Order: sequence, then structure tokens, then C-alpha cells
Amino acid sequence: MAFIEIENLRYRYPSSEHFALDGISLQIEKGSFLGIIGRNGAGKSTLASAIAGLVPQFYKGAYGGRVLVDSLDASRTPVSTLSSKVGLVFQNPFNQLSGAADNVYDEICFGMQNFAIDRDEMIRRADQVLSLMGMTEYKDRNPFDLSGGQMQRVALSSVLVMEPDVIILDEPTSQLDPQGSEEVFQAVDKLRERGITVIMIEQKIDKIAKYSDHILLLENGKTIGYGTPEELFANYDTTRYGVLPPAVVQIADALSFRKSNETLPVLEQDAIPLMSEHIIFTEARHTREEATDAIMRAENLSFHYNEGKDVLSSISLSFDSRPTAIIGQNGAGKTTLAKLLKGLLKPSEGRIFFKDIDTKNRTAASIAPDIGYVFQNPDDQIFKPKVLDEVMFGPLNIGMGEAKAKEQAMKALEMVRLETTLERNPYDLDLHERKMVALASVIAMSPSVIIFDEPTIAQDDDGKQMMRDVIAELAKEGKLVISILHDMDLVASSFDRVIAMAHGTVIDDGAPEEVFSHSETLKRAGLEEPHVSSLARKLGSNDTILTVAEFLSLARKV
Amino acid sequence: MKSISLYRDNGTWLCSVHPFTKLMYITFAILVPLFIHSLWAYAALIILDIAILISGKILKRSRPLIIFSLTIIVTIFIIKGLFDENNVSKLFSIGPIIFYKEGLMKALRTDAVIINMLLSFAAFVLTTRPSDLTEELEKHGLPPRLCYVITSVFNIIPQMMGTVNTIMDAQKSRGMETEGKLSVRIKAFIPLITPVVSSSLINTRERAIALEVRGFGSRSKRSFVHSWKKHRGDKAITIMLFAAIILSALWRIFIWLS
Repeated sequence: MAFIEIENLRYRYPSSEHFALDGISLQIEKGSFLGIIGRNGAGKSTLASAIAGLVPQFYKGAYGGRVLVDSLDASRTPVSTLSSKVGLVFQNPFNQLSGAADNVYDEICFGMQNFAIDRDEMIRRADQVLSLMGMTEYKDRNPFDLSGGQMQRVALSSVLVMEPDVIILDEPTSQLDPQGSEEVFQAVDKLRERGITVIMIEQKIDKIAKYSDHILLLENGKTIGYGTPEELFANYDTTRYGVLPPAVVQIADALSFRKSNETLPVLEQDAIPLMSEHIIFTEARHTREEATDAIMRAENLSFHYNEGKDVLSSISLSFDSRPTAIIGQNGAGKTTLAKLLKGLLKPSEGRIFFKDIDTKNRTAASIAPDIGYVFQNPDDQIFKPKVLDEVMFGPLNIGMGEAKAKEQAMKALEMVRLETTLERNPYDLDLHERKMVALASVIAMSPSVIIFDEPTIAQDDDGKQMMRDVIAELAKEGKLVISILHDMDLVASSFDRVIAMAHGTVIDDGAPEEVFSHSETLKRAGLEEPHVSSLARKLGSNDTILTVAEFLSLARKV
Repeated sequence: MKSISLYRDNGTWLCSVHPFTKLMYITFAILVPLFIHSLWAYAALIILDIAILISGKILKRSRPLIIFSLTIIVTIFIIKGLFDENNVSKLFSIGPIIFYKEGLMKALRTDAVIINMLLSFAAFVLTTRPSDLTEELEKHGLPPRLCYVITSVFNIIPQMMGTVNTIMDAQKSRGMETEGKLSVRIKAFIPLITPVVSSSLINTRERAIALEVRGFGSRSKRSFVHSWKKHRGDKAITIMLFAAIILSALWRIFIWLS
């Protein structure tokens, strides 16, 4: 008998008419690594909750079928008992902090204390996990004071220390910088080697393909496909289900490179022997938008929250109309810089100019018609009972008339494809849709500059494509888009300029193909080059190729 | 994030004294002068309190507490000195206003109680980490859920204040003024309070799940990662304080009976 047995699982949330899970059967062996993929709303998180017993015990609703974890019925065994076998880490690290501890060390020990683990053993495990997660130096810090990425490491650590038999991770790396998420994958992989079963929901498809033994593809609560990564991507057109295959798979498929067993290579190391000596590249020609006159300027900008501890130091930047991505490690000062540009924070030193006028004496609200800022969490701003009213709130605030505000709101909602939800309550929409409502509510004010803070968190491939379209559309309208991002593929495909930050300073600034070719920058800023660039380089391309489309246009099979 | 706890670890001996010893001191500081019922006892205790605050290097940090209580202290002096029912003997006058000896003596007594309580309490709150106190209480039988509620207040309230700031920033970014005239502030109320309420509801539900999956509902007896390193004086001081309370109580009973 497999360690986890799922038989014909069906489940409907109390207020819903549709089944979130509809007849899922699955067996998961001990010590395996299962990746779960699918578009937003496919049922991935619900399945994870069912294995942890939260569905139906916590969420109630209609439940049928059976989930057995090490022979325990997950629907009846109390969650707190089951949690000694099943550890769950979810997407938002903020709400996973217990609130019972004022330092990282105690936070990590919280779960172990509940299970009455011996004190010496607790100390041993906590020290080990802190060092594994690179969090030892933060152990005395208040967990609520950490950055999102660091908090996620704490959340993960506090589940790892309980040494469960199964660990379920629901998009655990969505807030982490690329090197940080690679570290999490490696740490989880080490656990698997120690016999722990890993179940991971992830949008980072290249990573999930690299680390999983098996992948489950879900759509509308049903199993669409199941198999090893090679089998799954060879047998199913995952794009139809909202999941873009890994770059390597897309390229191998397009150029008809198949392995001897007719499957597609999934990993770079499998693709290189197949492709090398069979591909030649013509020279890349990046046509980049020319730099125009500066729209915004920051001169010698410094900022600190506490005297003597600069978060940003001596930053001088000039922004023209090119879409600009700000990338860098968690805690590098990206959000602080963005908030300064928007006027939400005032610089400790230095000045910011919008169209050559110093913004020093303007409030954030009075800057709104010129500079828009889209926050990470849409729930921090939504308050109207109707989507249309929510989106009209900004335009009305900045003095637009009712008719003009409505017209602008409609236009913005069309841009994010929510024009059919005008009368709905924003809280009835899914998180990824609420993010789009928040986005539209800023776009509707039609500012010259729009700043996005991590717009792709919680977005699937469809959502990311929509972000690409929105960015392109705004750029076409002549607006300056500045975005903080951890998603290097989006940076590569949608931005003409990249600013890399580390420890409160700018360490690199240029076109994406330049910045991604500087290995020293990538290392210092905790980044990884896009997967396509890495494959192309290893296959002998002299250029930094940024997207699959570009790869296919430059590569010729011989 | 600004913590709402007044505790700071300044490395002095007072921080390493067990929370229960300090609680015993508060009990001692309140009860003993009450039993002895002499102004000299209060004076002695206040001097002792101040000596403790000085040696624990927290006298400066106690100042806001003392200044805050000054208004109450002065008010008591004025009201009792002027209007107490037993006022007979005039002590001094400022213009037409006459202060009486009886009232002022009563006020002195009440104020001494307040100052003494406040100073001994300062010695406790400024040097005791809230979670240390609740953990020690839990070790001695207080239900874990109650302890969690107490500790989490200290951690979650500052976090909620952080959320309020983010919400304020998000609405400012949409052109909403939050500062200035009263009418502006009233208009800003709904756009600020609605996300605060809804996001706390969402957070609370998620946090409940987070606690559950980390075994908080487990019925087994919990273990503790911290074991309190006993200050060498803890036991002796507690016994002495307790003995002083009993002796002063006995003395009071003896006075009553005789």
C-alpha cells in the first residue's frame, strides 16, 4: 500500500456550486517528490488541503471519496494529530507566523513544543534547520520584521523542524529571489533523499520539472495527466491547461529533438547532448527602444528607517519611457526605492524629480495623477462592494468627472479582461482576479508612471501573459512602467531596461541581454539567468538569448 | 516594527531575575506598607523601588510612566487638600484658596500608594519579556490557549498597525488624502477601515489554520525550548519577600486584636 492513497476524491466548498475536486485518485509512495501543476482555480491547493485534513475538517463542505495518509483517514483524524505526519507550508508567509513568538528561534520551535519534543532535540533540530535555510544570523530578529522572502524561509523552517513524513508546499517560493528559491528546492530535495515525501504546488515549471519524480496536471478539479516529467510533457499539451512547458521542452518540441524513448528532454543536461552539434545560431539583433528624455530622476538618494543603518545609499538614476525592471535579492531595497519614487517615503538625503520638478513638497496622494503604484496585496486596498466602483475610486479622487472616471475604469478593466465583472463584489473574485482589479484601479487614473511591486505573484501562465500584454499596452501609450520582479523570464520578455540592486545600491543597469550576460551581477544580486539564455549559451550561442521565440528564430537545426 | 512591549534586554541583573520573583516583589511592595500603615513604610519602599530601578539601569526609561502619573497625583493633592470631608486645620492658602492638613495627609498617603505601585510595576514590565512570563505561567499550569492569547496580542497588534500603514499607503496612491481637515479625515475612514477589517478576517482564518497544522490543538503536554536559568537570588529573595508579607500581616492582626 502506498504511503498516501487518494480514492475518487470529490469535494465542494460550502458556498460553491462547482466541485473543486472531482474524482481524483492517486497513490504517492514514501520518499517521492510529486509536483502539482495547473492553472489558477484548477484545485491544486484544495488537494493539498485535503491531504492535510483541512478539507473537510476546517473548510467543511461536501466531501466524498477517501484520503489515507499512512493508513490514517485524513478526513477524520484531527488536523493537529495529522500534522505530526503532514507538514504544510503555504504561499503567504505572513499568516503562517504563529504570533506566539517575538524572535525567529522561538517561532521555529513553536510546533516542536506543541508535540512535546525533548528540549535538547529541539535545539539540535532548530540549529540544523536555521543553518540549512541560511537564517542563523536572523535567529534573534522579530519574524514580523523580516522581508517576505526571509519570512517564507522561517515558515518553511518551522515546518521542517517537525520532521514530518510528508511535506506539502503550496507555491513556497513565490516571494523569493531566484537564488533563494533554488536554495529552497535544494533543501527540499535533501529532505526527499532522507525519505520524506514531498508534494509541491508550483508555477515555476522549470524547477518543478527538474526536481519532481512525478507531475500531476489538474484542470477543473480533475486529473488531466500524471507521469514522470518526461512522460507528461511528451504526452500532454500542457499549454491548453494554462501551463507553459519548460523552455527546454518547448525548444526540443519545436525543433523535433526527441530522446531515444520518444519522450522530450526536460532538463538542460538531457537536452545538451541531443542538441549540441545539431544547432547553429545566427547573430542576435536586439531592437531596443531608444532612450528618450528623462521622465523621472533620482539624485543621490539615500534612505534609512533607523539612524545609521542606510537601506539605500547614494542612488542616482534617470528614468525614460523604456519599460524598466528592478531586480535583486530579497531585502536589497527595491520596494524602498519604489516607495520613494512614489512619494510614500521621503528620502533621508537626495532629491527626486518628476518632469524636472522636485517632488519633495508633494504628498503621495497629490502625486497620484502622475505616478501610480500597484501594491502586492490587493486586499490592502479593496473596499467597494462593486468592481466598477472600486476601479473608479482613484479617478474620482484625482478630480475626474463621473463620466470620464467611468470611461477610464471601463478601459482599464478591458485591459485586464475583467469587463464582465463590473457589478460583482471584488471579494467574490479569486486572488489573481483581485490583483487585476487593483491593477486596473491604478491604470484608470492614467498616470504617466506606473510602478508595479511583484505583479506576478499568485499568477499562472495566463496571468503572466496578461501582465506582458498590459505592460506592452502601457508602453505603447507612452507610459513609463517600472516593475519590481523576481520572475526573470518576464523580465527578459517584457522589459527594455534592467536595474539590478544589491544591499541598497545599484550594481548594474542596462538592457536585459547585457545585464544577464554579467555573471558577477547575477551572483551578487541573488539572480539566475533566464533558462533559455543558459541553454543557448551552453549550446554555443555568443549572444544572450532571452526568450524561447528568440531562440527559435536564431537557431537552425543541422 | 515598533513593539508594544516595554521590555528591552539591557543585560542587567534585573532582566535575568525570574518573572515570578518580580511579581512577588510587586505583591510585597503593595501589601507590606498597607499592613504597616505608616508613611515611613511607604517612603522606605519608594526608596527601595528607586534603588532597584537605578541598579537595573531603567530609571530613565521609567520617567514617562512617572510623568504620566503626575497629573493624577497633583489632582489628588488638590481635591483632597481643598475638599476632603475631614478637613479642619488650615495648613496654607494661595489667595482665597485654602489647603487643609487632613486632606493633604490623606492625599500624601494615596499618592504614596500610587507611586509605589507604579515604580514596582515599572521594575517588572521594563525588564520582563512578555513571552517569558506567559511561558513560565504555562509551565505552572495556565492553559496554553490563554497564554497564546496574551503573547499574541504583543506580536499581532504591531503587525496590524503595519497593515494599517500599508492600507493607508495604498489608498494614498489612489489619490486619497488622509491628512488635513476633519472632513478629509472622515471621508478617508471607510476606505481605510474596510480593508483593515476584511484583511484581519482573512488573516485570522489563515493564522488559525497555520496554528492547527503546527499542532497547536494537540492535547499532549507541551515541552519548552527555554529553561529559565535561575538567578542565584531568586529563591532566597522570594522566600524573604513572602516572609515579610506574612510578618507584616501578622503584625497588623496583632494590632487589631490588642
